[in-house]
Amino acid sequence: MADKTIKKDQVKTMLNKIAQSNQLIAPIQVDGITLFKPVQSGEGVVLDYQNALVPPKDYFFPQSEKMFSYDITDPSWAIKLAEGVPNRVLFGARPCDVKSILLLDKVFDAEFRDDFYLDKRNKTTVVAISCNECRHTCFCGAFGISPGEAEGADVLLTDLGDKYLVEALTDKGVSLLANFSDLLTDDDGSGKAAKEKAVAPAKDKQMKIDMEGVKAKLDNMFDHPMWATESMRCIGCGTCTFVCPTCHCFDIVDFNNQSSVGYRYRCADSCQFANFTRAAGGHQPRPSKKERTRQRFMHKLRYFVDRYGDFGCVGCGRCLEKCPVNLDIAQIINKVKEVG
Amino acid sequence: MCECKTREVASPLLPHIATVNKIIQENENIRSYQVTFDEPGILENFGNLPGNCGMLSILGVGEGMISITSSPTRKGMLEFSIAKVGRLTTAISELNEGDKIAIRGPYGNNFPFEMMKGKNLLIIAGGIGLAPVRSLIDYALDNRDDYGRVDIFYGARTYDLLTFKYDIFDRWPKIKDTHVHITLDAPDPKWDGRIGFITQDWVEESCSAENTIPVTCGPPVMINIMLKLFKKMGFKDEDIITTLEMNMRCGVGKCGRCNIGDRYICVDGPVFNLAQIQKLPPEY
Repeated sequence: MADKTIKKDQVKTMLNKIAQSNQLIAPIQVDGITLFKPVQSGEGVVLDYQNALVPPKDYFFPQSEKMFSYDITDPSWAIKLAEGVPNRVLFGARPCDVKSILLLDKVFDAEFRDDFYLDKRNKTTVVAISCNECRHTCFCGAFGISPGEAEGADVLLTDLGDKYLVEALTDKGVSLLANFSDLLTDDDGSGKAAKEKAVAPAKDKQMKIDMEGVKAKLDNMFDHPMWATESMRCIGCGTCTFVCPTCHCFDIVDFNNQSSVGYRYRCADSCQFANFTRAAGGHQPRPSKKERTRQRFMHKLRYFVDRYGDFGCVGCGRCLEKCPVNLDIAQIINKVKEVG
Repeated sequence: MCECKTREVASPLLPHIATVNKIIQENENIRSYQVTFDEPGILENFGNLPGNCGMLSILGVGEGMISITSSPTRKGMLEFSIAKVGRLTTAISELNEGDKIAIRGPYGNNFPFEMMKGKNLLIIAGGIGLAPVRSLIDYALDNRDDYGRVDIFYGARTYDLLTFKYDIFDRWPKIKDTHVHITLDAPDPKWDGRIGFITQDWVEESCSAENTIPVTCGPPVMINIMLKLFKKMGFKDEDIITTLEMNMRCGVGKCGRCNIGDRYICVDGPVFNLAQIQKLPPEY
């Protein structure tokens, strides 16, 4: 499909239309914080935000999610699967967060396909938005991500001043745009060049991190003393894993609330917590902060590459911005390159 | 099982409901549970191989990964031997015959029973570590002519802590070319057999590295000693088989806690050979 444009004052109408037949999830301001939330209309949706406090990962892999319910007094122990989600449009995701969904696909859409994830993934159309600016913590370029591209999204919007360039990237995207074709104008051919110009600041100003040789170096750094030194200031709060768009670790818990009827849910868990790997009987392969800090960086930068062929980081910068003690993955990458 | 039709495929995280048909008290702390699935066809198609695990749960308590101790050659049930250790296994230890248990699986890889064909088996187990290798032992003994001599060395701290007494004393020693060697860590009034740890001299009285595959399973400290013992006996790293254990939650390679390096024990393990283990970071 040829590229289109939409006038900025038409975006709200477009969102209203989307919300009529889909659950619309879009960035809004909540108490001064940008978050992806389900909204009833285009009212209040912000598209000039830099990045949301937490990634939209929650709409594919929720922070906590009911899997099924049961009644332990039922002699047959019949279990009832939780319901799926309605058709959704995730609107306004940044290219780094879109890439993170492709990385989550490698985990959940693999052997033992995870239906709880796939149900949401298959029913969600992703509308991404290019970055005209970047935060001081952004380094998506390190992982081959461009502020003006969004592989994995169905539609990509780019802010061109008084209008957005609208690119349909998939058939799903074409179908979505067909619902409001009256709001779209054919691009006059200048769109792509204007996009390059628009995203240039985000490309140029972001942190430049070169990943060349990092994985090979880490292959021989399991016993390196830097893990002990770097982990000393970690307070084990798990914020890095909470805000990370690619972290996928979870726990499975039964909740009865002192009743016979309960449910089994799964919820995000963190490799930074000691209980994560502690087994009944006391077996604990990661007994201190050193092992847990090493696990987080090794998982993103070495193990994920070995297992899935890609880095488990998208350079969104959330963990290094939010870490209370400045345990900074960009600094760690640079340190790995420096140390002997 | 599932009443909701809004989804395309059943999630691998949904268990099947099963009934505990028989409970065998192995010792003060360990019981074996023979179970069958309530829904017809599940057991027949379960497809477990020797060494696989099952994710067992009591609804309202939680889930845990337990090795399947029965061989697939033993039809009509699955058997699990479980020590009372934590919250879930305590709840399981309170089950009665006829009670329900939820199971999903089978998970993990299996002992290389095809590669072992035509070879002698040297199996060294400690304590509850006999449970996982028992599936292999029974598989080999139920296909007796496919395998050579089978030597089982089994150690426990006390007489009472020996599990599967009916197998080690009554059943296995009566099978052709099968030799069970038992030792206790310390003298015990109920025991007039061998006392002491499993040593190379003792093992070499019955076995050599010639045409033999060694397997060990037990507490980590014992596994480490046995891996060294196998090396000294002249076995190749690729032939030395053991199992690794980590805390697991999902069993399907997604929840992220049972990794050693880039390998997930729940899908890539629990069975590894020494050459594979030497490539992993030493974090287990």
